[in-house]
Amino acid sequence: MIRVANLTKHFRVHERPPGLKAALRSLVSRTYKTVKAVDGLSFEIQRGERVGFLGPNGAGKTTTLKVLAGLLHPTSGDVVVEEHIPFLRKTTFLERITLVMGQKSQLIWDLPPAETYAMNRAIFDVPHAAFAATLAELTELLDLGPLLNKPTRQLSLGERMKCELAAALLHRPTTLFLDEPTIGLDVSMQLAIRQFVRDYNQRHEATVMLTSHYMDDVVALCPRVIVIDRGTLIHDGDLRGLIKQMDPDKRVSFTLPADAREPDALIAKLGTVIERDGPRVTVRVPEREVAGVVGHLFEHHATDLAIEDPPLEEILRVMFKRESPPT
Amino acid sequence: MRKILRLALVQLRISASSAMAYRLDFFVEGLMSLVWMTLTLLPLVVLYGTRTSVAGWTADEALVIIGYFMLVRAVLEGVVSPSLVELVERIRSGAFDYTLLKPVDAQVLVSTAKFEPWKLFDVLGALALLVYAFVRRGYGPSAVDLALGSLLLVAGVAAMYALWIACAAAAFWVVRLDNLTYLLGAVFDVARWPIQVFRGAWRFVFTFVIPVALMTSYPAMALLGRLGGLRALAVVGCALAMLVASRLLWRVAIRNYTSASS
Repeated sequence: MIRVANLTKHFRVHERPPGLKAALRSLVSRTYKTVKAVDGLSFEIQRGERVGFLGPNGAGKTTTLKVLAGLLHPTSGDVVVEEHIPFLRKTTFLERITLVMGQKSQLIWDLPPAETYAMNRAIFDVPHAAFAATLAELTELLDLGPLLNKPTRQLSLGERMKCELAAALLHRPTTLFLDEPTIGLDVSMQLAIRQFVRDYNQRHEATVMLTSHYMDDVVALCPRVIVIDRGTLIHDGDLRGLIKQMDPDKRVSFTLPADAREPDALIAKLGTVIERDGPRVTVRVPEREVAGVVGHLFEHHATDLAIEDPPLEEILRVMFKRESPPT
Repeated sequence: MRKILRLALVQLRISASSAMAYRLDFFVEGLMSLVWMTLTLLPLVVLYGTRTSVAGWTADEALVIIGYFMLVRAVLEGVVSPSLVELVERIRSGAFDYTLLKPVDAQVLVSTAKFEPWKLFDVLGALALLVYAFVRRGYGPSAVDLALGSLLLVAGVAAMYALWIACAAAAFWVVRLDNLTYLLGAVFDVARWPIQVFRGAWRFVFTFVIPVALMTSYPAMALLGRLGGLRALAVVGCALAMLVASRLLWRVAIRNYTSASS
């Protein structure tokens, strides 16, 4: 379980205008600015939940995850993870959590991942039998077989990420903080990692907190989302609810037959056009009018009909714009 | 403690396999070890070519200091320095986050992060040199002197380690640490000379500020039977104090760690 109450994390950063003169002046007297990376954040996550943690760049997501994992000392507020105060970094706490950072690596560069695993086994003091069982399970779930004994530097980005995940999970943590675990990966690798995270979550009733720039990851994995911007909470709840609340309209896409008469007039009648690429059209339609619109499209022999929720990217774009201060 | 020892063994094995990953390097480094040993002895040969005693030390006794110097240097270059380089690299890249996430004291993890196994050749060379020095002198150390000399070797290595950990702690604030380690390395080179060679302010600096005398001169004097029990105790005390101080500094540094950007 994760409980965060009124968390703030401020950084004091040294500020200086560009140029040599300013650089010289900054040697003598420096001006500091306090950056509020996280500013009064509160939420609670129950055991076994999968939660998406969203926000624009610089919103404070990574800082929050680092505080939760005990890497950073909070400026103020209470944080409890797995019944521990993270920054004390007690052994019993560290044995139950893991933090995976898509942009940082813990694998030993010149050696095969198996060596890193052996080291983590020693560090976490995992008994040999349990280690073998976990490694076998991870090897199966992530399809690591051919990778284990290849030097890390010869692995592709996706292969390395899978090995990173395994390295982070060998001690069977029950709370997973995943910071951009799919960054830079191709679609099939993204799918594999998603599937794996869901499996792990279900097998071990593990709590998962995930940040990702790929909204598909979040939509596929997280029934609940926490959205923050500039360090403060702007939404916490059901993902579908968020979409409905922000934009209840559906997206209806279709392809008009080549011989359609007066297509412009027809499209205009259906709803607001969002995208039009030759005969392929996407319009925005209020939910209660969807049935009528679909009937109409059938009459005109439209094909490849699709009705979807607005994409999460769009919802977030609107949210973050709205939250921005007037300029 | 057993866990730490086991961990160090695993890291040693991994470092050794890392080293073997580049086969040519392994042989080149082994050869370099021999070359360095010869070069270390060269100034001594030149100096004692024209005189029989320098600052109260005969050539054979000076060889004992060089032996200690090579032992401490082997630990420095084989364990401490590579680990420190690794630490700075991890702080810069942010991978140090992963070190802090491990349920083992970060200082232990950092200190054992990297070994250069071929420095074992240096240790063997240094031991051979010590034996040679005593053979030339004509008689070996007494049992008490041997025990005291060994104890002070440990103290000397501890003092050196403390100095480097203090330096490592600085890495959390300045990140680019290359110059500081070069400076420390250059200062450490002074340890090949008996402390009595230095006078006035320099002797003070090398005994108390950057205590290289603790690392080689005093242990050598103990082995040669030229250091009283009380002074030996003071050396051990100083080394312990340095260890404690560096530990405190390290903990302050860890608390202030802000982690590199995501």
